[in-house]
Amino acid sequence: MDSTTLLSLIIFTPTVGALFLWAFDRKAEESMRYCALVFTTITFVLTLFLLGEFDRDDPGIQPVLVQVNESDATEYERLEAYHVATEGEVLDGVKLTAGQIVSDGKAYDESQIQRGVVHRWIGQWNINYTLGYDGISVPLVLLTSFVSLLSLLAAWNIKKHVRGFLILFLLLESGMLGVFLSLDFFLFYVFWEVMLLPMYFLIGIWGGPRKEYAAIKFFLYTLVGSVLMLIAMLMVYYDSGQSFDLQYLARVGQGLEDGLSFSPTVQMAAFILLFIGFAIKVPIFPFHTWLPDAHVEAPTPISMILAGVLLKMGGYGILRIAFPLCPEGAAAAAWWLALIGAVSIIYGAFAAMAQTDFKRLVAYSSVSHMGYVLLGIAVWKINEDTGATIGSEYWLMGMNGAMFQMLAHGVSSAGMFFMVGVIYDRVHHRDLNQFGGLMGLMPFYSGLAVGIFFAGLGLPGLCGFIGEVFVVLSTWNFSKPLAIVAAAGVILTAGYILWAIQRVFLGPEYKGPHKEDITPMNGREASIAVVLLVFAIVLGVYPESMFGLMRGSMKLLVDSLEIAMR
Amino acid sequence: MTAEESLIVKLLTAAWLLPLLGFAVEVFGGYWQKSRKSKAAALMAVACIGCGFVASASALCLGIEWSALLGEGTKHDVMEPISGTFYLLGEFGPLVLSLDYYIDSLTLLMFTMVTLIATCIHVFALGYMSDELTDDHVDHEVHLSDGGHFHRPGRFYRFFSFMSLFCFSMLGLVLAGNIFQVFVFWELVGICSYLLIGFYVERKSASTAANKAFIVNRVGDFGFIIGLMVIWTSFGTFRFFDHEIDTKPVPGLFTMISRVEAEDAHHDEKHKSSAEHEKDEEHPEGEEHPEGEEHHNGEEKAEESHPAGEHATAEHHAHTMQLDVDDARSVVFLHKDNKGTRIADPVTETEKSIPYWLLIVAGVGVFAGCIGKSAQFPLQTWLPDAMEGPTPVSALVHSATMVAAGVYLAGRFYPMFAPEVLLVIAYIGCITLFVAATIAIVATDIKRVLAYSTISQLGYMMLGIGVGGWAAGLFHLITHAFFKSLMFLASGSVIVGCHHEQEMPKMGGLWRKMPVTAFTMLVGVIAICGLAIPFSIFGAKIAFSGYHSKDAIVASSLAFMNANQIHFLLFFVPLVTAGITAFYMFRLWFYTFAGTPRDKKVYDHARESPLVMTIPLIVLSFFAIFVAVGGEVGPLYGLLQGSEPVHVDGGAVSVATEGATAITMPSRHAIHDVHGQAGWYALIAAVSGAVFAYLLYGIRVIDPADIKRNFSGVHTFLVEKWRFDDLYEVMFIKPVHVIARWCTGFDRGYIDGLLHWLSRKTVDVSNWDRKFDENVIDGLVNWIGKVVYKSGRSLRHLQTGLIRQYVMFIALGVLALFVLLFVMFPA
Repeated sequence: MDSTTLLSLIIFTPTVGALFLWAFDRKAEESMRYCALVFTTITFVLTLFLLGEFDRDDPGIQPVLVQVNESDATEYERLEAYHVATEGEVLDGVKLTAGQIVSDGKAYDESQIQRGVVHRWIGQWNINYTLGYDGISVPLVLLTSFVSLLSLLAAWNIKKHVRGFLILFLLLESGMLGVFLSLDFFLFYVFWEVMLLPMYFLIGIWGGPRKEYAAIKFFLYTLVGSVLMLIAMLMVYYDSGQSFDLQYLARVGQGLEDGLSFSPTVQMAAFILLFIGFAIKVPIFPFHTWLPDAHVEAPTPISMILAGVLLKMGGYGILRIAFPLCPEGAAAAAWWLALIGAVSIIYGAFAAMAQTDFKRLVAYSSVSHMGYVLLGIAVWKINEDTGATIGSEYWLMGMNGAMFQMLAHGVSSAGMFFMVGVIYDRVHHRDLNQFGGLMGLMPFYSGLAVGIFFAGLGLPGLCGFIGEVFVVLSTWNFSKPLAIVAAAGVILTAGYILWAIQRVFLGPEYKGPHKEDITPMNGREASIAVVLLVFAIVLGVYPESMFGLMRGSMKLLVDSLEIAMR
Repeated sequence: MTAEESLIVKLLTAAWLLPLLGFAVEVFGGYWQKSRKSKAAALMAVACIGCGFVASASALCLGIEWSALLGEGTKHDVMEPISGTFYLLGEFGPLVLSLDYYIDSLTLLMFTMVTLIATCIHVFALGYMSDELTDDHVDHEVHLSDGGHFHRPGRFYRFFSFMSLFCFSMLGLVLAGNIFQVFVFWELVGICSYLLIGFYVERKSASTAANKAFIVNRVGDFGFIIGLMVIWTSFGTFRFFDHEIDTKPVPGLFTMISRVEAEDAHHDEKHKSSAEHEKDEEHPEGEEHPEGEEHHNGEEKAEESHPAGEHATAEHHAHTMQLDVDDARSVVFLHKDNKGTRIADPVTETEKSIPYWLLIVAGVGVFAGCIGKSAQFPLQTWLPDAMEGPTPVSALVHSATMVAAGVYLAGRFYPMFAPEVLLVIAYIGCITLFVAATIAIVATDIKRVLAYSTISQLGYMMLGIGVGGWAAGLFHLITHAFFKSLMFLASGSVIVGCHHEQEMPKMGGLWRKMPVTAFTMLVGVIAICGLAIPFSIFGAKIAFSGYHSKDAIVASSLAFMNANQIHFLLFFVPLVTAGITAFYMFRLWFYTFAGTPRDKKVYDHARESPLVMTIPLIVLSFFAIFVAVGGEVGPLYGLLQGSEPVHVDGGAVSVATEGATAITMPSRHAIHDVHGQAGWYALIAAVSGAVFAYLLYGIRVIDPADIKRNFSGVHTFLVEKWRFDDLYEVMFIKPVHVIARWCTGFDRGYIDGLLHWLSRKTVDVSNWDRKFDENVIDGLVNWIGKVVYKSGRSLRHLQTGLIRQYVMFIALGVLALFVLLFVMFPA
């Protein structure tokens, strides 16, 4: 399949599905659900194709295209089989330089090839429809389609305005996939905003008692972030000779384009704007208070999407945009970033401990866990005089750990929210002090739930452990006090999760209302939970499955930022 | 790797993974078994761990060089370590994290010990847990709100699946080839312990104890992680062994920190300069040195009183070793081989080193993990509460294996510990063994006495390792595992026999009802007290295992005190505690089995346990008697010596060789010199403790109640466990909850408060905006409109519909226009 087609299909299959839903009779709710399921499944399968297409030996953006003829710089075709030359490689007796692309007995310079598919969109303003993927986005794209599929299954018992729900859900999925696949800043921004509206309505219409408050809070918070991002976008747009191309902007930011670069002031300002914009999404203390409200009020499947995917966009934005475009800003702010990352870990854990609402506790645990993501990204230690990076392999490890933590959290927090949703559907309350004894009443559910909560607790063998501990290990090189603070998180995490498990699952009897409604999980619920737990185990036991995908691109990012700072 | 070595690896891997496989099947036992009365899952668990034992024992037989073990030469040839990698967890440039294996004689010994004891305990549990083999189990300890007892289906299979998971984790911990992997399995045994302590999930006390165990352990693990961070950042590897990355040789941790020969700091307090060191870097360890001669002379003196097999070892490594420090003693240089070649950066030629204080931080950090896991002071409070778990769990997890893992790690990681860290270990062990023993005197719950005794014995092991008796500490680990699991199982037999009565004051005279239990318990009691007939009969002392190992520890601490007079407490406290140990252990035995029955109901219903429970008791008592046969020339001690870090033999010195901070580790032969002396001291202490217990609880010359009354303050203090729990409640738990509430309050009050304030202000501004719109702008527009309207209205009167009038207006208008034209443009 043509790359443009594949990438566009991935993004727009859910949208097509949303259009399809109009064709159904309003009362054919079950058929509409199946229709939506078919389209999310197709999307998931397409992302698996993408995984097949993805060449993990090439750290750069893919697909790689080459000019059809030398004079025409508009027509490109895809290189099917190629490899990136290593230092000292020889082709037909000619010594190649590292980074050249070798395909079919020919060597191409980076200038002759194009990474990512580009189509003109709004020529006047140099806005393109640019799509592409690398080791950073492929795992997240997979996570998105995977979590969306499971969330849709979890949404089976939504009874209110089913068509509307499904349409918004599918639009949301398109938006999320678009964010992870677009390489044009403007396109990125458009998808970012596309995602926002369905989310607003999904919380505001299908949410709990305080849904309006939560939806507006979510909307306003995110909108502030978007506005800051917009300002930064325009700053770099005008400073780069009017380009939205993220690869080009990154080269400008890193001083690789002749005669063009962002001044340190611009970098600093743009970085702060971008960072706050993304930090709101992550969310990072003190921009996190939308999250508990949004989660508590959102219906279960939307909580799963929120925690499983939406929060990762913040981390992705920092990795894809904030750092590459503004390396100097990033380097200057690294310590502050790490500090608020560490503070988020501890603060989120403390706040989680004081909650009496089960879902709120899980929401605060997200704040704590996402703190590791920021901390891992930020452990960039620089020699102030030379600009050389100290212990770059530890930063690389932190970056990888942060990225892994995003995936792990995507699985574990989606699972935790789902588990809370399952019990909420039965007893219609979430008061931690009114549970107890579920282990006896729903043994299978409790077993799976405890397993997934252990993944959140960071138990070895489950996914949460790897991300957290890799980040923490890499932090000592950067700052000893912050490393100690972050490591202290393990005690608090154990505290609030075990305490919650004790109050909900253990004990002799259930203390709350609707005891008669407590029934075992049905097949649909059980399969969602089992799949999530299995993935938590696979990621925890064999983390190399994900590190293998992201390693090259992470290394490229770290190396290029290091070079930019020298 | 030879075929034999790879076979050993395969055997151990099988022994390690079989219980995991068992767990994966057993945990679903509720589904695939026909009823809760089925024992299939349990039998599967027994089979898994039994096969594991066979595999481990075969590996042990295969792996060690028997001639070296039983012969008279040095024990370092007993086994070459086997190491390798299972698979990678992550790889970041030169940083590699992986699952490895490191197999030496200690690993093989631990594998065999763990699987053997676990097999016995699994079999015992078949009997002990049999009241779970029902579809309607009544838990009499749980009272429901309606006044009844709690009913549930039996959970026989679940117990065994958790036990299997535990065995897998424990064996993984022992097999681990890097410290990170140790940490991974460290956490896993922790969670298994959590699951097993909280096995009776309905009991609030059980789930609270489980939480406490895990969280307190996490406090220790917090330190462990700090240690890991230091090691990771300073050494760049977690592996114990030398290995290759991309065919480039990379030294392991133990090689990097390998000792160099000290400039015999004992004798002339002279430091070798760094430059001299480099010249010196080639000298092999076994080379003859003048100080070696000196030691040799001492050796001959010792020879008379000591068996011949030992001194050869001492002779071989009689050099004092120390860390490779610089002149200022601020950094420790890292080595790339065992000959002391320093690692140098190829470009800058700077030698790779770690600051000395960081090495101490790393050591203390990792040891903090051991403090948590081995329930050492100040984190000892979780272990007594952990007795909420079923008794087989207490026997396996909380006495023989998991809690000993802390000691195992301290032993395994010994080369990384600077002398200062060893001193910390020694003092922590010393405090722990005393505190726990004192509490054991007043405890009345039979399992709690054993729990405190476990803590105290773990303290002994730590002390042994801390004072340089590496093999002595681990020796005690092995012997203790046998006799303590024996005693726990015996107490389990008593508890079942007495229908779940654990209070000793309600027992008494039970030996008539349960002779096998009473007898095997007595074996354990004698072993732990270290009673023996200290004369050689047929060339060997008549002594149970505990005598040999405790003797070795006391001898090490005596030698340590001789070398460091200031640390005299490290000898006297354990000596006194040896007496206390004998006292509370015999108190337990007399209380339970001797005398007259104190509670007729309990006594009348008491019965001996079935064979499935007594046979494990007999097997374990066999090992409790014979495992350490031969003492320090026996095979067990020899096996341990096969894994002993090379610098232990000659003793080691701390960095500072002068002043109060000087620490000198006793050499092997220094320990040997005092061995006989220490043995007598320990024996006298133990015998007096035992006699005292006999007087109080055996023949009751003095009524213990009188003593209790006279020392009621002390008694209360001890019953309240030195009030650690209250202290921690005030110091940690309450503040954490306060901060947690404060955080939530901050979110709601300040962050959201600010947002709400902002949004209110926005609304206010909008309102004002609206008012401005309505009043000012709209007012203006309206006014204009009104004026226009009004004027239009007034002009309306002009519109009369009379043609003449209109013509007149037009004429007047034209006239006016012409006048204006001429006025404005006169030309």
